[in-house]
Amino acid sequence: MIILKGTNLSRVFHIAQQEQVALSPVSVNVYRGELLIVTGPSGSGKSTLLNILGGLDRPTTGEVLYRDQSLKALDEPALARLRNITFGFVLQSPHMLPDRTVLENVMLPFQYGSVMPGADQYRRADELLEYVGLAELAERYPNTLSVGELQRVVFARALVRDPEIILADEPTGSLDADNSGRLLALLEDQARRGRTIILVTHDEKAMTIGARHLQIDKYH
Amino acid sequence: MQLFDEIWMDWKDALLGFRRRRVRSVLSGLGIMIGVMALVTMLSIGEGARKEAEDRIATLGINTIRVENAVENPAQQAGSVNLSVGLTLEDAEGLRQWLGKRGIVAFFEREDEVNIYATNREQSGTVIGSTPEWFALEGLTLGAGRSLIDDDTYQYKRNCVIGSDLSSRLHLETSDSIRINSEICTVIGILKPKGSLLTEGTGLSTLDFDSLVIVPTTSFPFPRVLGGKRVLDSIVIALDQASETTTLEIAEQVAEYLLVKHRGVRDYRMVVPIKLLRESQRTQSLFSLVMGSIAGLSLLVGGIAVMNVMLANVSEQTREIGLRMAVGASRRRIVNLYLCHSMVLSLAGGIAGLAGGILLAVLIETFAGWSVAFSMISLLLGPLSALLTGVVFGLHPALDAAAQNPAQALREG
Repeated sequence: MIILKGTNLSRVFHIAQQEQVALSPVSVNVYRGELLIVTGPSGSGKSTLLNILGGLDRPTTGEVLYRDQSLKALDEPALARLRNITFGFVLQSPHMLPDRTVLENVMLPFQYGSVMPGADQYRRADELLEYVGLAELAERYPNTLSVGELQRVVFARALVRDPEIILADEPTGSLDADNSGRLLALLEDQARRGRTIILVTHDEKAMTIGARHLQIDKYH
Repeated sequence: MQLFDEIWMDWKDALLGFRRRRVRSVLSGLGIMIGVMALVTMLSIGEGARKEAEDRIATLGINTIRVENAVENPAQQAGSVNLSVGLTLEDAEGLRQWLGKRGIVAFFEREDEVNIYATNREQSGTVIGSTPEWFALEGLTLGAGRSLIDDDTYQYKRNCVIGSDLSSRLHLETSDSIRINSEICTVIGILKPKGSLLTEGTGLSTLDFDSLVIVPTTSFPFPRVLGGKRVLDSIVIALDQASETTTLEIAEQVAEYLLVKHRGVRDYRMVVPIKLLRESQRTQSLFSLVMGSIAGLSLLVGGIAVMNVMLANVSEQTREIGLRMAVGASRRRIVNLYLCHSMVLSLAGGIAGLAGGILLAVLIETFAGWSVAFSMISLLLGPLSALLTGVVFGLHPALDAAAQNPAQALREG
């Protein structure tokens, strides 16, 4: 079953009155429960494609359908709700709120739309920190964690709303082999549990965990 | 999710942001603080002036017209070509007839710093020669005994009513006797404490009701008769249920009447309290306008400072904005968040300004002697105006923050 379908997606930026093509037209089908690996040379638009599929950006041409619902037809609050409930993002740089503890950072998505009681929110975030092996760091602040630890916190945050789809953009790009291995193991585990994952990567080791590959070439 | 929860979370976020950039936040709130300080001080001074004016009018009487003798030396005046000796009993009687049932006309003669003797005691006080109407007109009430009655006047009785303070100083009770000059008077009544007639700035002579000895005009021990006329110190007219316009009209007619009677010589001073009140209100409005403009300008400058800091914050937090959007924050929530941020900055300035304004007002009262008063409105208006400034000047940075493309925001920074 196709859960996410991108048709003829392209993205053009206008910078200083000049057009910059970030993504040449591409179509993609993402099946429910699969781990799709997206590869391609630098500048081919892999991250742009991921952003468009995850509703972080709007395409210049084409459209994305999530369960046959066009994202184009959604207004901004509905798209924000979709990002909150349906998608979980793991980006190359582990973005965190510096004045929040690790636990509070994991709970951040609850701030934007959960009806779950506060105690359950804490329990869920605690469970996920346990899952990624960082339970003991829950009360620490991000600036006291290593990049590898931060990336696992981001992964826990991406899972906190139990999203249907995880979108990971070079999540191991800034990690050493050890941390990279841990994160890939977590991604594999989620894939085994039936979560849909789209993984943009250059990492050869990461490429081995996916069942299907999408190669984007640079035509611009 | 409940709207209240959303607002509460954004406020918590804003407070965290305030803590994170403490120095910058405090500096950005300085302008607002000064603005609110000016506003609170201005309002408390204005309120103090209003209360003072109201108190003064309350003692003078809102519907009264007061005329006071302005002749420094009646004897000299009597010998001059003007042929006017100042206010006389004839004026009072004339006005009484002219006014008819529209009000009451009372008058008094006074002698200040008179030595009053009681058994083994001596005190200085003011002796007033007046009629029973004057008691009602000035709102004098008795603590003991009775007031003067017409009989006291017509029978030339040597009875007197004593002010509360003077009676305590002389240890007097009703039926006691006192001596004024060589005259012996019987105390028939003691007034309740009343204080002074607040005449400051009106041109009228002050009168401390608590240090008076009031005797019938016919028994007044210091009568002044010039050119065959009994000279008075003051005539007080109280109008019955008169509107402001009527009071002013009658005051004009009284002025004309006296001017004619005194052959064009203004040897009296006329004060219309309602007129004073309006003048005081006009002055106060002007003062409020000037101070309000200063406060407004300070708030404007403070607001611009808050806006600059908020724009800097938004620029520094681009990735955080992107992150919040990625995890589900809508543009509305981003606007709310940054509006809360600017409101926290301005409210902190507002609260500091409120405290500073109260302190400044107290210092002004202590050292400059101006009377100040704090009304609930002034105490609320300061922080509220700060909050409003925060909303107005925080809107542009908040909209800027919400206008970010989440994907681009995550890449930047």
